[in-house]
Amino acid sequence: MKKAIICIYVALALGAGAAHAGPEDDTLRIAWDGELPTLDRYFNVLREGILVSRLIWDALLYKDPATLEFKPLLAESYRFVDSTTMEFELRQGITFHNGEPFDADDVVYTLEFVSNPENRVLTQRNVSWIKSVEKLDDYRVRLEMKQPTPTALEFLSGPLLIYPNEYYAEVGPKGMGTHPVGTGPYRVVEFKPGESIRFEINKQYFDGSPKGKPSISTIEQRTIPDRNTQITELFSGTVDWIWKVPADQASRIVGRPGISVVNEQTLRIAYLSFDSSNRTGNASPVNNPLVRKAIGHAIDRSAIVSKLVGGVSEVVHSACHPQQFGCEQDVAQYEYDPEKAKQLLAEAGYPDGFEIDFHAYRNRPYAEAIMGYLQAVGIRTSLVYLKYAALRDKVYAGEIDFNFMTWGSYSFNDVSAITSHFFKGTQDDYARDSQLIADLELGDGSVDSEERKNAYSRALKSIADNAYWVPLFTYNVNYAFNDKLDFTATADEIPRFYSAGWK
Amino acid sequence: MNATSNMPSAPDFTRDLEIVAPLTPRQIFLRRARRHRGFLFGAGVILVIAALALLAPLLAPHDPYAQNLISRLQPPVWMDRGAWDHPLGTDQLGRDYLSRLFYGAQFSLLIGFTAMVISGFIGTSLGVVAGYFGGRVDLIITFLITARLSMPIVLIALAVAALLGSSLTIVILILGLLLWDRFAVVARSKTMQLRDADYLMSAKALGMPRWRIILTEILPNIMDAVIVVATLEMAHAILLEAALSFLGLGVQPPLPSWGLMIAEGKDFLLFEPWLIMIPGAALLLLVLAINLLGDGLRDISSPEARS
Repeated sequence: MKKAIICIYVALALGAGAAHAGPEDDTLRIAWDGELPTLDRYFNVLREGILVSRLIWDALLYKDPATLEFKPLLAESYRFVDSTTMEFELRQGITFHNGEPFDADDVVYTLEFVSNPENRVLTQRNVSWIKSVEKLDDYRVRLEMKQPTPTALEFLSGPLLIYPNEYYAEVGPKGMGTHPVGTGPYRVVEFKPGESIRFEINKQYFDGSPKGKPSISTIEQRTIPDRNTQITELFSGTVDWIWKVPADQASRIVGRPGISVVNEQTLRIAYLSFDSSNRTGNASPVNNPLVRKAIGHAIDRSAIVSKLVGGVSEVVHSACHPQQFGCEQDVAQYEYDPEKAKQLLAEAGYPDGFEIDFHAYRNRPYAEAIMGYLQAVGIRTSLVYLKYAALRDKVYAGEIDFNFMTWGSYSFNDVSAITSHFFKGTQDDYARDSQLIADLELGDGSVDSEERKNAYSRALKSIADNAYWVPLFTYNVNYAFNDKLDFTATADEIPRFYSAGWK
Repeated sequence: MNATSNMPSAPDFTRDLEIVAPLTPRQIFLRRARRHRGFLFGAGVILVIAALALLAPLLAPHDPYAQNLISRLQPPVWMDRGAWDHPLGTDQLGRDYLSRLFYGAQFSLLIGFTAMVISGFIGTSLGVVAGYFGGRVDLIITFLITARLSMPIVLIALAVAALLGSSLTIVILILGLLLWDRFAVVARSKTMQLRDADYLMSAKALGMPRWRIILTEILPNIMDAVIVVATLEMAHAILLEAALSFLGLGVQPPLPSWGLMIAEGKDFLLFEPWLIMIPGAALLLLVLAINLLGDGLRDISSPEARS
């Protein structure tokens, strides 16, 4: 039966083989399920938006994915004047895709625009540390921070892409979202929101960029919502590259002639979050730390990792990704022990368990596996499965007792991007622990890495001791692509097509 | 049959009449039912599925909720790697597929039957009232029916489920409150046909109150048509439940609804197609059986067949 189905697919594929992709026409055809409403990086938080933005634009700095070193990109050099002031020498002779020359005005305009809260860029954390940006001369810029910001280089090499000031002033986020103009290795020649993007190589891309010179002349992206269709198109050769292939399907693709499958880790972790401080006012069972610990003991995270998540994923116990700076690993662990879970539940006053709504937004099978484990110790959950934005709004509004969430830290290798994001008393914070907030403030505000480590260590131990979260596992990504494509997957979950080529 | 059977036309007809005439209506019904293959097949399949659903706790080889990630995605017994321990294999969480199918039948039948009863009650009441009283009452009810017919069911059901959240009760209520239109249309036109019948006139002349006329004279006489609609609507409700569950707004996990099983198998369409085929085939069989039963009932009880 299975073979027959695959035969049908292959037959269909051969029939549709006219539009063969690959090196023949030097066009890389990629597909994913995300629907990009806009290409303006500051007004779109989808992962696919991040990788697209790195094709179109450049930032002042660049973080080498292999060595994790910071290198100047649009800047020629940079230096710290003091702990809150940086100066940049800019590269000369670079032009934007529309011919506008790149200079200090572009840097000042972009950074001032995005750091102005009135302009409401979506991720305020990326920009809220900037106090002011000043033009020293045509190719020199000074940046003042509100306080010492240990992650400044991460921001400057990641999300803070430089826009052309004249064009942006004229078209605004809306125009930039549909007709983007940058200095990057590729320019967008056609964009159908939520549907497709067509990139063409930027032949003028400057020498000496640490991103390297792009080599593939055209990249065509299509949004294909269904995973099986993506795989079928990959088999048939109408698509060269797909990602986020679920472990089950990836294991069936491995070994298929003409296709490479690569599994690479990411900085995303999955966790269970609880209303520990009764923020909802519902007096939920999870207000009780014993119940939260019981939930930690009820779930066989190793089985979920080895049987469902697969790949290079691992179980995590601390509320951060093990690779992130400051991610203390020596924290309380709640090993799989259903008997102990039942005992803790009884101790908490729920000998027969209880019923609770369980919110989730992705990886329904993982959520259901967790529900199965909870059911086994008497916790009867009903799944409320929402779109991410809907669930996030409910979280912000303080309406959620118990949810299955994930966080990718915007690929930041620092616990401030996750632990501080969720436990510093903001709208995401359901622990509302003042000592914890103080420790995180200390860690985020210091430039002394020993002091930061200690502060984060105290914070993470406290989170584990109180079971404010039950961290679950790290994510991985399966990339599947035409084996004629020379593509290197990186751990930051940002595919770099400008470094790809044909073998 | 005797020697006359090689002369099949007129004489046979009178012979049949002679034999049939002394039978009671119930006997006639059973006699026709026994000869109607579609009806027999439909009724048989429904009986079997209902029995499996009711006896699920006894028949199911495993707990339908017990997950075992070690033995997940095991194929059915007739495929490579299949084993009798899980005759229809296991799903993506290692739950026994056969047990989930049995328990899923409970939900399909429960939802289909309850939704049909609710919508049948609403639709028949409205239809009979409209047909019997006519005039302005009829205008208003016809307006209601037209309004209801103009609403796209799936869209309304999705919107309501999204607004109120989804649970078994809500799914049943949504479907019950949406599927009454055909009952109303059929009950109304049937009642209109009966309105001027002699026996109704007699009942009126005797001074029988209206409610009694409706309950004892009209309802029993339109029931055959209503039952046919009921079977169709039950099948309709089962399919809609599956569609809603497939879209994530019907029965919620871990309850084993067939629509939900299809939805959960969707990601495995390419390499483990049996995950969709098994609940899909079960759904097809049940809906087909209910429709055949309904068609059969119509054939058997229709006036042409009664003569």
